[in-house]
Parts: sequence; C-alpha cells; structure tokens
Amino acid sequence: MKHLIIFVSILSLSGLNNLIGQENMFSKTQFMIRGYGHAGFEYTSVNGKNQSSYVGSTFAPIFLFKHSDRLLFESELEFELENNQVNVGFEYADMSYILNNYMTIRMGKFLLPFGTFVERLHPAWINRLSNMPLGFGHDGIAPSSGIGVELRGGFAVGGSKLNYSVYTTNGPVLKDGSNEPEEAGMLLFENFEDNNNNKAIGGRIGYLPFSNSSVEIGFSVYSGKVGNTNDSLYGNTGANLMAGDFTFVKQVSPLYGIIDIKAQYNLSLVDKADYFELEPGETIPTQYTFENKSDAYFAQLSYRPTMAGSNIIKNFEIIGRYSVINTPEGSLWEQQASQISYGLNYWLSWRTVFKLSYQTTNSEGGHDSPGTTKTNAIFLHWALGF
Amino acid sequence: MKKQYKITTMLLVTFVAIAFIVSSCSSNKSALVSNKSGAQLWGENCIRCHSIPSPSAYNDVDWETIGLHMQIRANLTKDEITKVVEFMQTAN
Repeated sequence: MKHLIIFVSILSLSGLNNLIGQENMFSKTQFMIRGYGHAGFEYTSVNGKNQSSYVGSTFAPIFLFKHSDRLLFESELEFELENNQVNVGFEYADMSYILNNYMTIRMGKFLLPFGTFVERLHPAWINRLSNMPLGFGHDGIAPSSGIGVELRGGFAVGGSKLNYSVYTTNGPVLKDGSNEPEEAGMLLFENFEDNNNNKAIGGRIGYLPFSNSSVEIGFSVYSGKVGNTNDSLYGNTGANLMAGDFTFVKQVSPLYGIIDIKAQYNLSLVDKADYFELEPGETIPTQYTFENKSDAYFAQLSYRPTMAGSNIIKNFEIIGRYSVINTPEGSLWEQQASQISYGLNYWLSWRTVFKLSYQTTNSEGGHDSPGTTKTNAIFLHWALGF
Repeated sequence: MKKQYKITTMLLVTFVAIAFIVSSCSSNKSALVSNKSGAQLWGENCIRCHSIPSPSAYNDVDWETIGLHMQIRANLTKDEITKVVEFMQTAN
C-alpha cells in the first residue's frame, strides 16, 4: 500500500510537470521527471542447476528541480521487483549550486565519484550489459553513494582538460560481525547517520589529455575511520579505498564505427582487526584475524558500426567485458571470482536498447555460496531512458 | 593507515603535476578547447558515457534543466554547457 501511494504520487507529479512546464515560458524554475526503466528475461545455470525467469520491471524516476540557472535539486528513486516484493531504493537526493565557471558545491546524498562506473555508467540504458561488473553493487567493494558535501568542477589546461571532485561524507561503517558473523570485516557504505565523529574524505581527479576528450584517466581515493565511536576493538580502525579508471571513446573511421573502452580498478584496504566466530557446538567464540585487502576490476570493449551504410546494421553493438573480484584470504567472505560477458545490443533510439548477453562466472568461496561455483547465464533485457 | 594516506596524497599530487606539465607543453592548443562549437562539444562529451542525444528529444526549456544536470554530472564548465544547450535549442 505504501509503495502504491508513492507510485500514485509520482504519477500525479508527472501531471503537475506538464502544468509547471507551461509556466516555464515565464519562469526560470522548472520541475522535470526523467529516469529509466528496464525489464527482461534471464536464464541461469549454477553448477548445472538451471533456472529461468522474467525479471526486472525496474522503474527509476529521477526528479530534477531547476530553481535558477545556478541552483539544482536532483533525486533518484528506484523501484525494483526482487524476491517477490517491491524494493524501493533512495539512490540520491542532493542540492547543487554553481559557484563559478569551474566550481560547483553539492550537498546531500550523492553518487560518489569513485571511479566512473557508479556515477556515470550504472543506469540500465547507459550500462552496455545487463548487470554490473564484479565488485559493484551488493557485497561489492566500491562505494556507490554517501551523505556529505562535495566540491567539483572542470577546466581546460592548455589543449587538455582536468576535472575534479573533493568531498567529505559520513563514510563507510565496519561490519564487526555482531549481526552477521560471516560478514565481519566488510564495509557497509549506506551510512545515513555517522557511526563516529570522523568524517571520511575522498576525491577524484580526471585528466583528458587530448583536445577531443576521447581519453580520460582518473584516480580516486576515499579514506576514513570506519569503526564505532568509543569501540575499544574497532574505534581506531580505518579504511583506504582507491580506484583508477580509464575511458576511451572515439569514432574510428577505418573501423566504420565507435570504439568504446571502459576500465576501472578498485582497491580496498581496511586496518587489520580481531573478529570473533562462534563455531557450531561451542559456547566461547574463537578469535581470528586477516589482512583485510580486497580488489576488483573490469575492462569492457564495445563497438558500434555507426558509419555502416545500412540503418539496421548501424544500430547493432557488440560488447565484451572481463571482471574480477578478490576478497581477503582468511575472512569468512573470502572469494576469488572472475567473469566474462559477451553482449549484442540493438539500439532502437539513442536511449532505448535491447541487450542480449551471455555471461560465465567462476567463483571460489563467498559467504552466499561457499565452494566452487560455475554460473552460466543468458540475459535479454530491454532498457529505456526517459 | 598514515603511510597509506601519505602514499595516496603523493599519488594525487604527482598526478596533478604530470597533468599540468603535459598541459603546459601544449598551451598554444588552449584555443582548441575554448573555441569549440556547441555541436562539437555535444558530439565529444555526451558520448563519453551514453549515446548522443537527439536535440529533438526535448524542448528548449527542458534542455536548460538537463544542461544544468549534465554540467554537474559531467564536470563541464558553464561556458561549455551553455554552448551545448544553445546548440540543442537551435537544432531541436
């Protein structure tokens, strides 16, 4: 019922949007609803056990309120069908003010510019494949959003360009295992109220060396204490996260199309700490520790023959992606996994795409499915930006 | 933790320094960036993340709001996004 009320409210706001739009002839304020959605079919085979299902029907409205030429409020919700229920995600909600030509200040819950995938590439109509690379999303090591304040912008330097972001947030929280012992040592990034008095600091620098902006190299950091205040065991435990990213997008005439390369490497270093595990049949927990280092990366190549003579062929796109995640040896969530994805897309318009992909994942460990797992999957998704 | 923080800071400083040194060697190319047309900026920047949008997808007022949204998201300068929005409003 609660979700129905939210949904009806959004539809009502859509109607209001038209009315407000008429007033925009005379006003600089404007309210818009944009966003994206996707639905599809998935077939998976986990160690030979097959399953198929229609999935998705994700609806992610983005609310934009332009108060003036300098002030913008933006927010994204995400309604998703998962495990026979509707999940509502509050992706971001922030206010931005343009300070000058090169600098914007932003405050609220915002997508973290930790690499490029989460901030720029995660929406279903932008992501060339039907799911995220390893290391992102649930149980991922890369943060997605944070609550805080950010200074960001970009400027030209000679024939190249630099963009930057510096921010401070509540920061991640260390899972000490008291609620979920199998996740002891993991970081929780959804920290709505700070668990300590230490604010995390982060930033990203992006460098576009060529005047045509075809290449971007980025470096990100995110650092802070993650334990609870006054916690004698974890109060001084800190975490350093780093990421490097690479983008190359260019129409290459000899290849009659656009080559798009995206890559990102994520590294998570959490201070070593002691954790406790209660073995079956025991009453006294066993103490253990491990080097809390995780990394994950992906590299993706896509090609779309935009210069082909046929209007049908130019709408096709082929994609390949390789991704890896390694979580700490000795932890209860230790995992080494690699994934290869191949995709064939057909673009109905610049924001509507049919995505067909085949993906194979080899995993060793992980708290959800310990042991060796081989997963083959076929995804057919229809994604739409609006 | 402190050692890692120092390494991180050094990496950041080195990265920026290299960027400025490389950039300063090509200062005579600054006009290549600042003199770009709205159409050129539209073609070069939107495609870095998503397919190039059709100018006809939105009306003039909508492009103003989307332009402000994308200026922030893509770290574009005010000058750049103004040119892009003006181009979209002309071509839609």
